[in-house]
Amino acid sequence: MIEAAAGMAPPDWPKAGEEIGAQSFGPFAREALARYAAVSGDDNPLHLDPDVAKAAGLAGLPIHGMLMFSCFEPLIMGWRRDLFIARLSAKFLRPVLAGEGIRVLGRVLRSKRIPRPELIVRLTARGPSDDLVILAEAAILHKNANPLS
Amino acid sequence: MTARDQAQAVLAPQPGGDPPVRLPAIKVWTEPGAVAGFLRGTGGTGTGDFVPLTFPFRWLALPAVRGVILQMLGGDGFLPVHEAQSFAYERSLRLDTGYVLDVEIEASEKPPRLIVKMTVSSTEGEICARLETVLRIVQLSQEADS
Repeated sequence: MIEAAAGMAPPDWPKAGEEIGAQSFGPFAREALARYAAVSGDDNPLHLDPDVAKAAGLAGLPIHGMLMFSCFEPLIMGWRRDLFIARLSAKFLRPVLAGEGIRVLGRVLRSKRIPRPELIVRLTARGPSDDLVILAEAAILHKNANPLS
Repeated sequence: MTARDQAQAVLAPQPGGDPPVRLPAIKVWTEPGAVAGFLRGTGGTGTGDFVPLTFPFRWLALPAVRGVILQMLGGDGFLPVHEAQSFAYERSLRLDTGYVLDVEIEASEKPPRLIVKMTVSSTEGEICARLETVLRIVQLSQEADS
C-alpha cells in the first residue's frame, strides 16, 4: 500500500473533471422524516404536518433539506476514505416530497497538489424528475494534509 | 479591549438594521448515543465511531437557540424554510467530547430571513467549526390558520 507523506498528495490524487459516481438515497417515507426530526431536533411542522405543508403551498410533506444534505458525506467517504471535508456549503433549490428519493453525485472542479492536496468538488442532489434540488460545493483535503482532522 | 469586546463592537447597531442577537456561550457534548442515533436517522450505516459533518446542526434545536429563533420568526403563522447551509471545519469533532457554542442570529428583510451563525470551539477555546444557516421566513396562508 502506498501512502502519502504528511502534506503530500498520494499518487492517485483525483484530477479536475473526475466524477464521483451517483448514489441514490431514499425514498424517504414519512416515518423517515419523523425519525430525522427526532434525532436532529428539527421538528418544524412543515415537514411533519400535511395541513401545514399544504398551507405553505406544497403538495406534500417536504423532506428536510438537512436530511438530503447529510447524504453528501457518505457519498464522498464512499468515494475515498482518505479525505477530510473542510468546507461544505449548499443551497436548497426546491423541495422533494416524502415518498420520493434523491440521487447525489459530484465532480472535481479543481485539484491542487501544492502547497497541500486540496480538491474543490461540485456536488448536486437531483429529485425524482432529475430536477436539481441541492447545489453544493465542498473543499476537501487529504487527511494527511490536515493533522488536526 | 478583549477579543469579545471587539466582536461586540463590530456587532454594534448599524443604521437602518437591527443588530444581530448574540447568545451567551452554550456548552454541548458529542454524546455517543446521540451521535449514533443521528447517524441512523440520516440513513448512515457507520458504527458511530465518528461525528457526522452535519451533526452540529442539531444544536440549533437546543432550547436556548430555538427559543430565540422562534421569537424572531414573528409569531404564529410564520415558519422557517431552510434556504442555505454551510459548514467550515478547522478540525473534526471528536466523539464523547465537550464543546462550546457561540451563536448569533441576524434578521434581514426583503425577503425576510434569519441568518444563524454558530461557532463550535473546544473547551480550550480553539475554533473547530463554523456553521451558517439561512432560514427564509414564510407566512402560511390564512386557510391554514382557520
